[in-house]
Amino acid sequence: MTHTPEEDDLLAAEYVLGALDLAERSAAEARIRLDHIFAARVIEWQNRLAGLNDDYAEAPAPNLLPKIEARLFPQSAKPRRAWLSGLIGLVASTAAAFGILVFLWLQPPAPSMTASLTADASALRYEASIAGDQLTLTRTGGAAADAGKDYELWIIAGDAAPVSLGVLTAETVTIAAPKAESGFTLAITLEAKGGSPTGAPQGPIVAAGKLAKI
Amino acid sequence: MIDDPIAALLSRIAAQDRAAFRSIYSDTSAKLMGVLLRILGSRAEAEDALQEVFTRVWLRAGRFDAAKGRGMTWLIALARNHAIDRLRARHDHAGDSDEMETVADPSPRAETRLIASGEARRISECFDTLETDKAAALRGAYLSGQSYLDLAARFDVPLNTMRTWLRRSLQKLKECMDT
Repeated sequence: MTHTPEEDDLLAAEYVLGALDLAERSAAEARIRLDHIFAARVIEWQNRLAGLNDDYAEAPAPNLLPKIEARLFPQSAKPRRAWLSGLIGLVASTAAAFGILVFLWLQPPAPSMTASLTADASALRYEASIAGDQLTLTRTGGAAADAGKDYELWIIAGDAAPVSLGVLTAETVTIAAPKAESGFTLAITLEAKGGSPTGAPQGPIVAAGKLAKI
Repeated sequence: MIDDPIAALLSRIAAQDRAAFRSIYSDTSAKLMGVLLRILGSRAEAEDALQEVFTRVWLRAGRFDAAKGRGMTWLIALARNHAIDRLRARHDHAGDSDEMETVADPSPRAETRLIASGEARRISECFDTLETDKAAALRGAYLSGQSYLDLAARFDVPLNTMRTWLRRSLQKLKECMDT
């Protein structure tokens, strides 16, 4: 499938305008994830039309922050984080004396969290690890998605709706790590080619697991 | 980037700064609530969507690039995309047009209110070069999330005509704004 630059630019404009139907929107979203030139066109249009945003009137919003924080930051994580940042502070001050050593120690970052994504009734298995700002996912069991389908990766914070991290296009994929806490769930669903057309999972969950600190 | 406090907050959030997350909520939740309410038309659904949007702000702040645009533009795009996805999914399940009443563009005088920023003044001038119906249809799509289907019904023209109108109007708008 070839697209002229003009067609691409119009599609980006229509996507930002918001007039596309669900299937067209999801196709455009899949392209944003895969095609950085198209993604840049979308950002240009967002900027071009941003003047219209002044027309949105403010509306009083209830304080939903406690609910949102409860989802994002499970209580148990708090003391450990304080302890961890204390430790990091200590390491950092020691590092001033042993700069080169620490430089070597930090490169490459060791995985900080891992998850095993499995399912009861199938051999499909993925191993996920977050190291620094990267999340790497490797299929260690089972088969790739059938032709015409794709596996899509989601992250779920507490009882929040799943957020897509993209379509798994290879046996091993490395993506920008989401801001995740121990206890968040990673899940893989079977979706139509290019990923879920709605921005929310549509297909069955084929593997899932919780992130844990190591 | 010249003076963009929201961008500064987003980069702190990308570094997992929870105080910055609380600040961005208090600074921007009213504006984003306005966006969600305009598109979704129901306060209960808008509040539910607001929780989702801020959950995504925390998870996705690392993808924001201050070199490519303003922080508030990024936040509003995140909120609009989420709201429009919900609206389209709802239409898919519930047939059509019942909800349209609540999201129809209520303000034919909207142009006159677009005076706050230089950015807004520029797009307002460019909107003035479009025919009235077409400018109103563009506005309905952008501000209220109306689809080509909704707009074709509202202006009583075939779907393809509406699509051609808006694509030409977007091209004209681009030419006007890029010169």
